[in-house]
Amino acid sequence: MRMGFFFHVGRYFSMLSKVFARPEKSKMYVRQLFLEIDNLGVNSVWIVVIISIFIGGIMTIQFAHALANPLYPNELVGLGTRDTLLLEFSSTMLALIMAGKIGSNITSEIGTMRVTEQIDSLEIMGVNSASYLIFPKIVAVVFIFPFLYIMSVFFGLLGGLLTGPLVGVVTVPQFIDGIQWLFYPYYITFSIIKCLVFGFLVSSVPAYFGYYVQGGALEVGKASTKAVVNTNILILFFDLLLTRLLLT
Amino acid sequence: MIDVKNISKSFDGNQVLKNISITFEPGKTNLIIGRSGSGKTVLLKSILGLFDIDEGEIWYNDRNLVKMSNKERKLLRSEIGMVFQGGALFDSINVEGNVRFPLDMFTNMSGPEKTQRVQFCLDHVNIDRKAYKLFPSEISGGMQKRVAIARAIALNPKYLFCDEPNSGLDPETSTVIDQLIQSLTKEFQMTTIINTHDMNSVIEIGESVLFISKGEKEWVGTNREILDSGSQKLDDFIFANKLYAQMKKGK
Repeated sequence: MRMGFFFHVGRYFSMLSKVFARPEKSKMYVRQLFLEIDNLGVNSVWIVVIISIFIGGIMTIQFAHALANPLYPNELVGLGTRDTLLLEFSSTMLALIMAGKIGSNITSEIGTMRVTEQIDSLEIMGVNSASYLIFPKIVAVVFIFPFLYIMSVFFGLLGGLLTGPLVGVVTVPQFIDGIQWLFYPYYITFSIIKCLVFGFLVSSVPAYFGYYVQGGALEVGKASTKAVVNTNILILFFDLLLTRLLLT
Repeated sequence: MIDVKNISKSFDGNQVLKNISITFEPGKTNLIIGRSGSGKTVLLKSILGLFDIDEGEIWYNDRNLVKMSNKERKLLRSEIGMVFQGGALFDSINVEGNVRFPLDMFTNMSGPEKTQRVQFCLDHVNIDRKAYKLFPSEISGGMQKRVAIARAIALNPKYLFCDEPNSGLDPETSTVIDQLIQSLTKEFQMTTIINTHDMNSVIEIGESVLFISKGEKEWVGTNREILDSGSQKLDDFIFANKLYAQMKKGK
């Protein structure tokens, strides 16, 4: 039977109501939370650092290329790189990348637990499986996302700072001056708000697809793909919505 | 004791259970047998409360499952142990952690008390202490089932449910698991319900056997009576295996 959009939306919110129910034993959830912060957050640090350094470097070269005009000061390269990282890359692009890494991890983990009856086992013990499995993941990802964002901005700028002078498109003082020009602290607030929303989507949507998977390994794989695609679409939709509401 | 009274269950108009009544007694291994698709799993899950039944009553001693609130059901579940077909051990936790999990979640025992209880349960299913730190993927299928049984009895349950506990096991290991379940049932006086289509289990530990066919109760008896049940459907089910046909002929 083909299930409609509203069916999924309804079931998603029904799952969330179970997720945010009162936990059986808070101590167990706290232990699980630290495990998830390590598993989903700390293990993502390297990929964030590597991607941010490269993208920062690439953006610097591209800005230098686009602004190759004697009328434009070279400092604009630093400014452009900073604002792109602050406003879009380190929040939205990072969330899209994390949807692939963290999202597929969450769906496959919970989905495998479903098809191997581990979730049934929790339910029969009297454990609220949705809450025990999903709540710590949501809290962990929402908590870790702003830190990943700040790291991404830092390493993106570092990538630009290293690459720009290396390829000879901007000097270190020009780049540093540029990243200090016309700085609006609100950009950070805006992006942190986006990170919190994206963190929630990146954890809860894949958890939904994993929690309700039926079948075997093949279905878990399909659910992972669906989860990543749907999370990406939702991230872009909420990016548009939040930008319209908070920035314009 | 679990008393099932006139229960029926259907899915999308297709009646899977039809007016089934049966009493499962404590201290006995109660088996539910039947062909694939006969309704065994639906019956088991209905008794567990995982499916809401359309009609009838399910009594756990003097408590009617059908009329229980969510809170009462949760309380009841703490009295239930369940062994799943595939073991359903938590992949990310080692053997010791799996058995410890229900103790961590539902008791206020101290650390040493929990360790003692875990050792007690794992000793009962003959798991060597060297295996305590191994993960489910690092142990054999038979060992996984034994750990699953240890986890199921960790909270000292009154009721033990086993869904095809022998599936995927060799005959020797199957016998070990059967005997283990039977001895634990007697020792702890649990009401044990085993869902199986393994005739060796029926002969070995079938102290009370319910045969269902197309969602209906077809026959109830013991392993001693099963070869002379007088039910054609049951005979067809049993004697599909030629060995039992020869047993009946006294060969």
